[in-house]
Amino acid sequence: MELTVRKFDILREVGLTQGVIEKKNTIPILANLLMDAQGDSVQLSATDLELGIKCSCPAKIKKPGAITTPAKSFLEIIRELPDADIRIRTLENNWVQINCASASFKIVGLPKDNFPILADLTQSLVEIPARPLLSLINKTIFAIATEESRYTFNGALLLLKPLSVTMVATDGHRLAHIEKQIPLDPLNTELRTLIPKKALAELQRLLAEADEKDVVSFGKDENHLFFRLKNRLMISRMLTGQFPNHEAVLPKDNNRSVVLNREDIRSAIRRVSLLADDKSRSIRILLANNQLEVSSNNADLGEAKEVLETSYDGEPVHIGFNCQYLLDFITATEDTKISFDFKDDQSAGQMRPATEEEFRYRYIVMPMRL
Amino acid sequence: MEPVIFHADMDAFFVSVEELFEPSLKGKAVIVGGLPNQRGVVSAASYEARKYGVHSAMPLVTAKRLCPHAVFLPGRRDKYCEYSRKAEGIFRRFTPVVEMVSIDEAYLDFTGSERLYGAPLSVAHRLRSEVERETGLSVSIGISRTKLVSKVASDLAKPRGILWVLPSHEASLLGPLKVGKLPGVGKATEMQLRDLGVMTVADLAALGRQSLNDLFGQWGESLYCKAQGQNTAHFDFHDEPVSISNEHTFAQDTSDPEEVELTLAQLVEKAAHRLRAHRMFARTITLKLRDLHFRTVTRAASLKEPTHLDGEILDRVLQLLHRSWDCKTKIRLVGVGLSGLGYAPMQGHLFERESREKKTRLYEAADKIRGKFGFDSITSARTVK
Repeated sequence: MELTVRKFDILREVGLTQGVIEKKNTIPILANLLMDAQGDSVQLSATDLELGIKCSCPAKIKKPGAITTPAKSFLEIIRELPDADIRIRTLENNWVQINCASASFKIVGLPKDNFPILADLTQSLVEIPARPLLSLINKTIFAIATEESRYTFNGALLLLKPLSVTMVATDGHRLAHIEKQIPLDPLNTELRTLIPKKALAELQRLLAEADEKDVVSFGKDENHLFFRLKNRLMISRMLTGQFPNHEAVLPKDNNRSVVLNREDIRSAIRRVSLLADDKSRSIRILLANNQLEVSSNNADLGEAKEVLETSYDGEPVHIGFNCQYLLDFITATEDTKISFDFKDDQSAGQMRPATEEEFRYRYIVMPMRL
Repeated sequence: MEPVIFHADMDAFFVSVEELFEPSLKGKAVIVGGLPNQRGVVSAASYEARKYGVHSAMPLVTAKRLCPHAVFLPGRRDKYCEYSRKAEGIFRRFTPVVEMVSIDEAYLDFTGSERLYGAPLSVAHRLRSEVERETGLSVSIGISRTKLVSKVASDLAKPRGILWVLPSHEASLLGPLKVGKLPGVGKATEMQLRDLGVMTVADLAALGRQSLNDLFGQWGESLYCKAQGQNTAHFDFHDEPVSISNEHTFAQDTSDPEEVELTLAQLVEKAAHRLRAHRMFARTITLKLRDLHFRTVTRAASLKEPTHLDGEILDRVLQLLHRSWDCKTKIRLVGVGLSGLGYAPMQGHLFERESREKKTRLYEAADKIRGKFGFDSITSARTVK
């Protein structure tokens, strides 16, 4: 194999593959990146067997062929090279030589034969506009459980309908639910898919570079999910299992509502949470008499309180929450006005943007016992 | 931080409670324990009666002889308990660290609460007046760095007194006292010490650590510490366990998976029952296996959500079993351990709330039945052969 590429073309693609590569993998080849030079481009692949990424960049191919190189070192080398054409070629015994201007590297490679074959997207089921999909992920991913024995909580539910796309994520204590009205082509049925958290995090990186008009082609086979954005394809192992019945926990009669300025409530909670109990992270919210009081107390440190003026003059609500859960939502939403909707101090509280334009966004949090 | 330990002792408790119901008894010699012609001993005597030499544990007949005009009462245990609980309730309003050592006395830990209450004396006054206002009973309070000195101090302060022994003044308070005033020093020790010429606590301290050790062994060491006013500030009412475990040794080593699993289910049932009795939840679950060669393995799993439910614990235990046992090696002993204990998690659940609550109610009901009729009165079908 022998090829020449422009530094920034290959650097961007190699950077994208890094998130997939397992740092502490026991299978050596999985720490490597596969380079496959054919025609007028070089294709790069990385996988940890759960998740895979294939991307490509234009290259002048002098001699077609393939090799794998240690992904981390390869990225570090490319990143430090001067902004010029890079020549990459294989030598005997799987050595890989990299030349750029006056710099020269020789690194150890492994033959491509042991590299896992990544499945390909054979048929796209639906095209999802890339920008809205990214918003959906950004506004739900934080609610996915990081460690949970019931592993269906380790992913988000993507619900595709002919006229809408919905994403739901939960860790059993809180749930983020977001829906966007959007015609999906060509879809005439409902498509339910569980997407693992790691795949969503990689999708965030892929989609970050998407333009207004870009679409993601989505498809699946028996075991895999495929997301393709232009020259990049992400392949994820499918999560199986039952996602909890989220419809049942969406509150219907949370009538005690208060609209708050996002920045005000965010800074109040951040300040008060400084003295929240270290373990439980609990803060109290007291809503009554045109005021919303946020308070905390820590047996070892002291107590904190902050009062926001509101227009609420209904029945008082006195409720406790994990402050991190509230901050997660407030940080994720972009709207300047947020509505808190309560039923009582035992039932789940709901948070949402006060006005709904682009999305229908709901965040449901179970209270903490005070 | 210097410990601040209160010893609160109700004054002539039984007699004072009697006086609440029969005010005419006030100021009279009253003896609670039974009628003078009955066999039995004095449970409590009013200060009037004590002037005649009557004290608790004295035979009623002797009391009658010493103080013939005293009013003798049989005593009402239920009333005493009721007032004891009332007093305890007031103590607990002041500090959560309360150790009731008997029906009429308690240790209270006020360590580190100066900023909340101010100096110990002022909180002691508040405590005493609240007890008086709400129960009509008087209490004496001793304050010091240790339980022992506080107890001695409350005794010296009686009745209705408060005595605060400043840090490092313990020895000068104790020195002139008779050795018998030291809690734990009874008649027998007192006699032995008297034979050695030791009358006061100061005499005892002067004997020195080495001689006391030589004379009394370990008890000597303890006597020496008592004489110095050194004693624990530790509250052993902390009966909350750090871990709970149950083990079973098979009558015959077994490699029968059914028997092993069944035994584990029984052990889980016992451990979870104890866990709930402490109103606690466990985060870490440990399986212990010992095979016929006496090789012991322990395997632990941590839960994201602490639990107190038999089913959730057993699932983990069986998972650990299947991971660490080949079902062939003969097993001699199995054990189940619960650790990472804490109180009820405060975070609510979105899903399966009802089934969780139902399960909790089920186990609580079973625990109640066991409390009444014994542990084996009810059991899950999983533990039955």
